Amino acid sequence: MFSSSQFDANSAFSGGGFMPHQSQPADSNPSPARSRDSLGLVPLTVKLISEASQSGDEKSNFVVNGSEVTNVTLVGMVFGKEERASDVTFTLDDGTGRVLCKRWASEVFDTKEMEAVQDGMYVRLNGHLKSFQGKKQLVAFSVRPVTSFDEVTFHFIDCIYFQSQKSKLQVQGSSIHQPQLVDSSLHTPVQTGSNNYQTAPSNHLSSQFGIDGLKDCDQLILDYLQQPSSSERERGVHIDELSQQLKIPKKKIMDSIASLENEGLIYSTIDEFHYKFARG
Amino acid sequence: MDTSNPAVFVNGALLRMYVGRRVRTVIQVIQSDSGGVTGKSTDDHQLVVKGSQPTIPLTNFVEVIGIADSDRSIRAEMWTNFGNTFDTNNYNQLCQLANGEYKHLFI
Repeated sequence: MFSSSQFDANSAFSGGGFMPHQSQPADSNPSPARSRDSLGLVPLTVKLISEASQSGDEKSNFVVNGSEVTNVTLVGMVFGKEERASDVTFTLDDGTGRVLCKRWASEVFDTKEMEAVQDGMYVRLNGHLKSFQGKKQLVAFSVRPVTSFDEVTFHFIDCIYFQSQKSKLQVQGSSIHQPQLVDSSLHTPVQTGSNNYQTAPSNHLSSQFGIDGLKDCDQLILDYLQQPSSSERERGVHIDELSQQLKIPKKKIMDSIASLENEGLIYSTIDEFHYKFARG
Repeated sequence: MDTSNPAVFVNGALLRMYVGRRVRTVIQVIQSDSGGVTGKSTDDHQLVVKGSQPTIPLTNFVEVIGIADSDRSIRAEMWTNFGNTFDTNNYNQLCQLANGEYKHLFI
């Protein structure tokens, strides 16, 4: 059946599993801009917006630190509010910079909401990032006065968190300790060392890491083992505890454990049920 | 778009690093007199804020934005009442992060 000629490789193998040269497997290391399409509102500072580059396509999206961004949320102070027949414009100053904002007065809802906004007021702004005559602008669809000022603190921490999650994606696979923002203990684990943004080796981990914070089992286990309460224990953590605390079936835990141990990220201690995080 | 004049998040300990520069911080008002407003920073340092105070009375917590005068005082350009309750611990940690590895998000 197979001809002796070697040049028939394409047709000879076309029914089989191996496809020579033409059909490469789908890109296993998708470019950051495409794989983590930002859904929902991305918390940003004006400084980050000023550094955003425009992605090439017609949708005129922006790219901030490697991910596409259209809808953003900011918290800052309103200045220079001007009301016109068709729209309201103002400058938003969030302490990192100032950006021009526009709110189209298309509905009564819009006009009424903008009436409540005054110069000198802290607001939460949700809108689209747009470019107009070469300058970046925000087209707001929601502007709400801040009433509890913990929201100001929250927003900036949210910005930091968002950036840290992105870099977590890039360094998955290496054993760098990420700043634990959720840790409410007395000391602040501030990482002052250099941030190694290594691109993950191709198809290293199946990162089902969505923007809404879903993590795959591997990452949950790593996070748990890196907590001081786990790492301080000499014997590490029992897989039963991992299963109970993370609310993941034991079988799945064991699969993840096997894979993590294979990669050298964790190691077993007194028996094959106890594991600790392997510090790099 | 203008990022030429940012205000750095500081607490008491960080203030000394930005003397002469524009800063922002939240203080808990201890007392207010002709010399200025004395307040407690989110890391329990005592700071003095000078400059013309707003006409409305100050709440327990106030954000001041202005130029750092010394490691203990600020010349305020702007005062914002932050209410009578505020999570100082969160703000303090934000100051540390904003001056640490996430500095590039801010200044």
